[in-house]
Amino acid sequence: MIELVELTKKFKQIHAVKNVSMFIEKGEIVGLLGPNGAGKSTAISMLSSLMEPTGGDVRYLNKSMLKNPAPLRKVTGMVPQEIALYTELTAEENLRFFGRLYRLRGTELNKKIDEVLEQIGLTDRRKEVVNKFSGGMKRRLNIGVAMLHDPELLIMDEPTVGIDPQSRNYILETVKRLNSEKQMTVLYTSHYMEEVEYLCDRIYILDKGNLIASGTQEQIKSILSTEKTILVQANRLTDEFVNAIKTNPTVNRIIVGEMEITIIVPKEVNIFSWLIKLAEESGLELSSVNIKTPTLEDVFLHLTGRALRD
Amino acid sequence: MIGILLAKFKLFLRSPGTFVIFTAMSIGFAFLLSGAGGMTSFQVPAYATEEKIRDSYIGEQLEEVNALSLQWMSEAEMVEQIANGKAEVGVVLGEDSFKVIVGVDSPNVTMIEQSIRDIYKKKHQLEQLVGQLQDTEMDIQQVMRSPIFSIQTGSFRSSDAVVYDSSYQALFGFTLFFVIYTIAYNVLPILIEKKEGVWDRVILSPVRKWEMYVANLIYSFITGYLQILIIFFVFRYLVGVDFNGNFFITLGLLIPYVFAIVSLSVVITAIVKNVQQFNAVIPIVAVSMAMIGGAYWPLEIVESKVILTLSKVNPLTYGMEVLNGFAIYGYSVEELLFPISILVMMGVLLMGLGIHLMERRHV
Repeated sequence: MIELVELTKKFKQIHAVKNVSMFIEKGEIVGLLGPNGAGKSTAISMLSSLMEPTGGDVRYLNKSMLKNPAPLRKVTGMVPQEIALYTELTAEENLRFFGRLYRLRGTELNKKIDEVLEQIGLTDRRKEVVNKFSGGMKRRLNIGVAMLHDPELLIMDEPTVGIDPQSRNYILETVKRLNSEKQMTVLYTSHYMEEVEYLCDRIYILDKGNLIASGTQEQIKSILSTEKTILVQANRLTDEFVNAIKTNPTVNRIIVGEMEITIIVPKEVNIFSWLIKLAEESGLELSSVNIKTPTLEDVFLHLTGRALRD
Repeated sequence: MIGILLAKFKLFLRSPGTFVIFTAMSIGFAFLLSGAGGMTSFQVPAYATEEKIRDSYIGEQLEEVNALSLQWMSEAEMVEQIANGKAEVGVVLGEDSFKVIVGVDSPNVTMIEQSIRDIYKKKHQLEQLVGQLQDTEMDIQQVMRSPIFSIQTGSFRSSDAVVYDSSYQALFGFTLFFVIYTIAYNVLPILIEKKEGVWDRVILSPVRKWEMYVANLIYSFITGYLQILIIFFVFRYLVGVDFNGNFFITLGLLIPYVFAIVSLSVVITAIVKNVQQFNAVIPIVAVSMAMIGGAYWPLEIVESKVILTLSKVNPLTYGMEVLNGFAIYGYSVEELLFPISILVMMGVLLMGLGIHLMERRHV
């Protein structure tokens, strides 16, 4: 349906996005995962024709959309990261305004407004000014506006930033429902790997403008098939303990938290007993040592040496 | 485009605070600095002891005094108005003498008494002349209407006569000054909408980009012009300023100025990066323009060549020139075509530059 071909965006000397190629098939939910500043928003701005690429192409139904993006715009619903609403208008007035922009009028517009309000669960609050909404309600309306014209492709740029878990779940469920009931194609960007893991059929991982991995969850996690992740939790950590792990030649990577360390080692290596002995020598009290099932976070750590939220 | 305009006006009605504040400040400053009531005549209840006095030399001369407006009534009504505090002072006019009945002692009493005394004094002088020359009073008046010598007045600084009218200066100056804020703060939402993603949403819709700009700029123009209309209507119909008898033409002459300020606001909005910068820049630009353009004081008293040169590239200079030229100097619209053309030209150039700069930062 949509294809990005070696898409590049350069701001002066900085490559925000570098030779990124990806495709989205009709009816799938594709995740674009990466830390802040990875180039996700830039990539989707180019995909949605809001930003001109420095190089590469955006193709919709095998036609380049760079010169004439109108066909792509027509089928695209954009949910920006910011709350792109008139906060002094009511929920209904916002939907009416954006609906009119899509040439919806009269009964058709009213029907669509009712339908969208129902989908985002704001029917009872339709007459309320957006300023008075909670963060989660604003986010839901932000999504609702993008759905007014029944887009084939919904591009969502970090739609759950800064909201409570309940609202986040509501949004994730709404996305799932739109995809299953309306066969809406969704491009979902996030730096929350658990959201992407929950929603997406296929995933692209971006870091510093480069595409570093892509595929289904299983394909991506299989990158770690030769390694395993050990999570060590303790009452406190000392430099001596951390340095000893870092200098262990069998350890591929580590990430140090306040009271826990994530260690990636080759699958065949067993450092379990060594860790316990080291903790004893360092005077630390370990609360747990777990061998984890690999997550996307672990893959990102493996590929970049950093955590997703660094 | 209509949808965008409707949304803008809905938003305007939801929070008209900025507009109301700047309109009220314009009216307040213009009223206070023009000498509160200096533009209007003082209403004085008057009673004539004889009916013929109203149409006599005394009555006619009193009608000519701009500062006074006689309200003819019976003696009882006049006394009642003063007693009830509806009038500060009243006058009883006789054929050869007058009385001033004072309710509230104020500087106006002296002014009224002096004005009437001057007229009676003049009448007595005329009567004496008539007696001496065995001529008629009408003949004397005829001679005075067609004098042998004509006198022209001019300023010491240039060959052009400079007429300074503090009431018009404050009204025009503060109106043109405060409308800069109103217009600029109505163009600012373009920047905010771009930052918040609303602009992107509209771009992705079937609405064309020119429609987005035109709707936003028409809205800014209308709010700015509406502010001017309110201020001028207040001064025309509540305060009594007559705008040289051509009120509606005066309003029309302001259109190029408002257009130029909308364009200037587009340039400023395109240059600044965020609302904080905009808030810092606008007062600097508006106050500088007002100082250089003659909104606070007439440019004729400015001697600095630098300021006079800068004033040539300031839309406010030409806005003041148009208003002063029409209302004070009595120029025709044709005679004001030069400043009007410059304002239109500035508007077109700045609009082109502003939109170009905005688009360079955005697809």
